[in-house]
Amino acid sequence: MAAAAAAAGSGTPREEEGPSGETAAPQPQAPTSVPGARLSRLPLARVKALVKADPDVTLAGQEAIFILARAAELFVETIAKDAYCCAQQGKRKTLQRRDLDNAIEAVDEFAFLEGTLD
Amino acid sequence: MAERPEDLNLPNAVITRIIKEALPDGVNISKEARSAISRAASVFVLYATSCANNFAMKGKRKTLNASDVLSAMEEMEFQRFVTPLKEALEAYRREQKGKKEASEQKKKDKDKKTDAEEPDKSRDEDNDEEEERLEEEEQNEEEEVDN
Repeated sequence: MAAAAAAAGSGTPREEEGPSGETAAPQPQAPTSVPGARLSRLPLARVKALVKADPDVTLAGQEAIFILARAAELFVETIAKDAYCCAQQGKRKTLQRRDLDNAIEAVDEFAFLEGTLD
Repeated sequence: MAERPEDLNLPNAVITRIIKEALPDGVNISKEARSAISRAASVFVLYATSCANNFAMKGKRKTLNASDVLSAMEEMEFQRFVTPLKEALEAYRREQKGKKEASEQKKKDKDKKTDAEEPDKSRDEDNDEEEERLEEEEQNEEEEVDN
C-alpha cells in the first residue's frame, strides 16, 4: 500500500538574500563563531555586484573584491564611531540619522557622501 | 530589473552587527541611521572601485587587483585603512593557499589510488610540474606591471 508520504515541506522555506532586507526575517550569514577564521563578514558576491555596476570596470580580481569588502567594513565601523561622538554630545544613547549627517559634514574624508544618502 | 548601483545594499544584518560591535554596549541605532550607513557603505564601495579602476587603467591593466584598491584608499584619504587591509590581505592569501594545497592534496591522494602501479619517479616530476603551475597561476592573478 502506497503510504501517502506527507509531502509537506520538511524544511523551512529558505530565504535567499533578497534585495530588500527591511523585513524582520534575520538573514543567516556564514557562521563567524571561529575567531581568526573570520576574514570578512560582508558577502563577497554582493560586493562583486557593486563593483560590476561600474561601467568602466572590466574585471576585478578576487583579492580586490576581498579588500573592498574589508574596507567597507572598516568604513562602517569608522563612520558609526564618528557619528556616535555626535550623539554622545547630545547625551543620547541612540544613534540618529542627524548624527550621521553631522559626521559627514564634519569629517573631510566623508565628503564624498554628501548628497548621496537622500 | 534596472537597479541603480546605490540600491545594491549590503545585508542589513551584517551592517547592524558591525555597527553594534564598533559602538559601546547599550548604544542603539535608529533604523534610519542604520539604513543610511548601509547606503553609505555601498557608495563607499562604488567610489573606491572607481578610484581603484583609475589606477588599474594607469597601469594599463584591465583587471582590478589588490594594490589598486590600496592605492585608492590612500587617494580617498583613508590611509588608516591601509595597514589593517594589508594584514587582512596576507591572512586571506594564506587561507587561499591553504585551500589550494588542500584540494591539490586531495587530488594527489586520488591519483595515488588510481596509479598505484606506476613507479614513484614519475610522481616526483609531476609534483614539480604542479608546483610550477601554481606559481604561474599566482603570478597571473597579480598581473603586476613594472612602472
